[in-house]
Amino acid sequence: MLELWNNLMGGFATAGTPINLLWALAGCALGTAIGVLPGLGPAVTVAMLLPITGQVEPTASMIFFAGIYYGAMYGGSTTSILLNTPGETGTMVTALEGFKMAKSGRAGAALATSAIGSFVAGSIATVLVTLFAPFLAEFAVKLGPPEYFCLMLLAFTTVSAVLGQSSLRGMTALFLGLALGLVGMDQITGQVRYTGGVIEFIDGVEVVLVAVGLFAVTEALYNALYEGKSEASMNKMNRAHMTKTEWRRSWPAWLRGTVIGFPFGTIPAGGSEIPTFLSYATERKLADPEYKKEFGTTGAIEGVAGPEAANNAAVTATLVPLLTLGIPTSVTAAILLSALQNYGINAGPQLFQTSSALVWALIASLYIGNVMLLVLNLPMVGLWVKLLKIPKAPLYAGILIFATVGVYGMRQSSFDLFVMYGLALLGVALRRFDFPTAPVIVGLILGPLAEAQFRNAMSIGEGSWTVFFQRPMSATLLAVVALVLITPRVLAWHRRA
Amino acid sequence: MQTTNPGAPVPQDPQRPDHRPGQLALGIAAVLLAVALAYGAANIPSGAGYAGVGPDFLPWLVSAAMGLCGVLLIREVRAGGYRNMEEPSGAARGDWHAMAWVSAGILGNAALITTVGFVLSCALCFTLAVRGLRISEGKAGGNAMQTVKDVVIGMLISTPTFWLFTKFLAVNLPGLTGTGWL
Repeated sequence: MLELWNNLMGGFATAGTPINLLWALAGCALGTAIGVLPGLGPAVTVAMLLPITGQVEPTASMIFFAGIYYGAMYGGSTTSILLNTPGETGTMVTALEGFKMAKSGRAGAALATSAIGSFVAGSIATVLVTLFAPFLAEFAVKLGPPEYFCLMLLAFTTVSAVLGQSSLRGMTALFLGLALGLVGMDQITGQVRYTGGVIEFIDGVEVVLVAVGLFAVTEALYNALYEGKSEASMNKMNRAHMTKTEWRRSWPAWLRGTVIGFPFGTIPAGGSEIPTFLSYATERKLADPEYKKEFGTTGAIEGVAGPEAANNAAVTATLVPLLTLGIPTSVTAAILLSALQNYGINAGPQLFQTSSALVWALIASLYIGNVMLLVLNLPMVGLWVKLLKIPKAPLYAGILIFATVGVYGMRQSSFDLFVMYGLALLGVALRRFDFPTAPVIVGLILGPLAEAQFRNAMSIGEGSWTVFFQRPMSATLLAVVALVLITPRVLAWHRRA
Repeated sequence: MQTTNPGAPVPQDPQRPDHRPGQLALGIAAVLLAVALAYGAANIPSGAGYAGVGPDFLPWLVSAAMGLCGVLLIREVRAGGYRNMEEPSGAARGDWHAMAWVSAGILGNAALITTVGFVLSCALCFTLAVRGLRISEGKAGGNAMQTVKDVVIGMLISTPTFWLFTKFLAVNLPGLTGTGWL
C-alpha cells in the first residue's frame, strides 16, 4: 500500500511538471473542442495525431492523448444537450434526455449535472484504477469466448430494445448494422463477403465512415431538408447550475452510473455504449414515479446524470486492460495502444515494471485532467457554447469540411466520400421514420467481434450449442438477455389484462 | 396512444403528412435487403470445420432476421402505420431544392478532391452547401457577391485545416500543387 502511494506521488511529480501540465491542458482543451463539434471524435483525432509520436516524448504524448480521450467525453455531452448531435457513441444516450431538458429550458442544469457527474465518476474511477488495476485485469482474463459472446448479445438486446419507442425498429437498425459489419473479409477464414466485386470493400466498411456519415453528414442533409425553418435548434444556455432538487436527484444517479460504467470499461465487450444504455434503463426504472414521466418528454435529469457518469467511468476503466493486459476495450484505446507501440513500449503485465514512471505519470495526469476538464466545462462552458453560436448554415457546411478530413484521412479514398454520402441519405430516412441510429453503429462495431467470439466459442464446444449453457457465467448472461427481452412484454401484457 | 382496436386504420390527421407510403417503402426495402443478403449468403462457402458454423452462418441469420423485420414493418403499416411513432422534427415537406445544393457540394467534393486538391475542393463544398442551407432557411441563395464571400470563407476554413493536418500532423491529404501549401 505504501509502495502504491510512493508510486502515485512519483507520478504526480512527473505529471506536475510545467511541460506535462501544458500537454494535459492542450489535450483536454482539444478534446473538449472535438467533443463539442459534431462529426469528429477522439478516436479519429488521436489517430490523426499519431505522427507526433515521432517528435514528442512518450509520457507527454500519452498524457496529451488521454486528455483528448477524456475531453471528448466531456465536450460530447455539451453538443448532445444543446444540439442533439452526439459526436461520440458514448454521449448518444445523453442526447436522449439532455436535449429534451434543453428544449424545456433546462440546458444549464443538464450541462452542470453532466460536467459534475463526469468529474465525480472520473475521479472515483481513477482511484479505482489506481487500487485495482492488476486485480481487475486478472478477472477479465477468466472470461472466455462464450462469456464475451453473451456480453455482446446483451449489448445488442439492450441497445435495440431499450432505445427508442419501438423495439422492432431498433432491431431493424441493429441488423442493418450487422449487415454492414459483414462486408469485407471474414476474420477467421479469410473468406471475402458482400463486397460485390468492389475492391475498396475488402477491408470492410470503415467505422469512422459510418459514424461520420450517419451522424454529421446526415445532420447537415436533414437540416437542409426539414429543419431550415425551425427556430434555432440550439437551445438557450442559461448558467450551468442546478437547483437543490436537481442535486438531490443527480448524485445517486452519478454513483450508480459509476458503478455500472466501471466494470464495463474493463471488459472487452464494446466500450461505452452498453453501460450508458444500461445506466439509462436503470435510471428510468428506478426513478420516482413523479419524475418518470419526464423521461422522453421534458427530460429527466437522472437520464443525463447516470449515463454521463457511466460514460466517464467506463472511459477511465478502459485504461485498466490497456495498461495491464495490452487489450484495448474501445476504439480510442486501440489507437492509444498503437501510440505505445510506436514508442516500442509493450503494453501488458510487464508495463508496470518496465515503464512504471510512464504508467504512474499517466494515472496522475488523469486526476489532474479531471480537474482541468471540470473547469473547462463548467464555468468556461460558455466558451464552448460560443462555438455553437456560429450560424447554422456555415456551421454545418464547415462540419462537412472536417467530415471530409476524417473520412478521407482514414484511407485516402475518395470512394469512401461517396459511400459517406450514401450513408447520409440512409441516415435521413432512418431519422425521418423514427429508426434509432445507435444500433446501426453498435451492430457494425460489435457484430464482427461477436461473430468471432461466437465461432470461437463453438469451436471450444466442438460444434455444440450447449457450450453457452454449460458454463455458469455465460448461462447467467443468457438469462439476463432473456429477461431484458421478455420483461417489458410481460409487463405490458399484465397491464392490459 | 394505442387504439383499442389495432386492426382498424388509424384516422390520419389532415395537418400531418401521411407517413405510411414512406414507412411501407422502408419495410419493402428491408425485405429487399434481406433477399440481397440471402443471395450473397448463398455464394459464401459453408466451410464449417471444427466449429459447426462457418462464415455463412451470420449472413443467413441476418438475412432471415432482416426479412422478418421487413415483414413485421409492412404488417404495422397495414395496421395503420408504425406503432409508437414520434412525429419527426422539422417541416412536413422536405426542401429538396436546398438538399440538392448540399448534395452537390458533398458529391462535387468527393469527385474533385483528388483532382483539384483538398483546399479548393472543400471550398467548393462549403460554398455549395452553405448556399443550400441558406435556401432551406428561406433566405435567398445569394447573389454573386455573397457567393464570392462564401468561397473566401470556405478557403479560410479549408486552408488552415489543410496546413494543420498535412504539415503538423502528417495526414495524407491531396493537394493541387505538389508544394504542400495548396
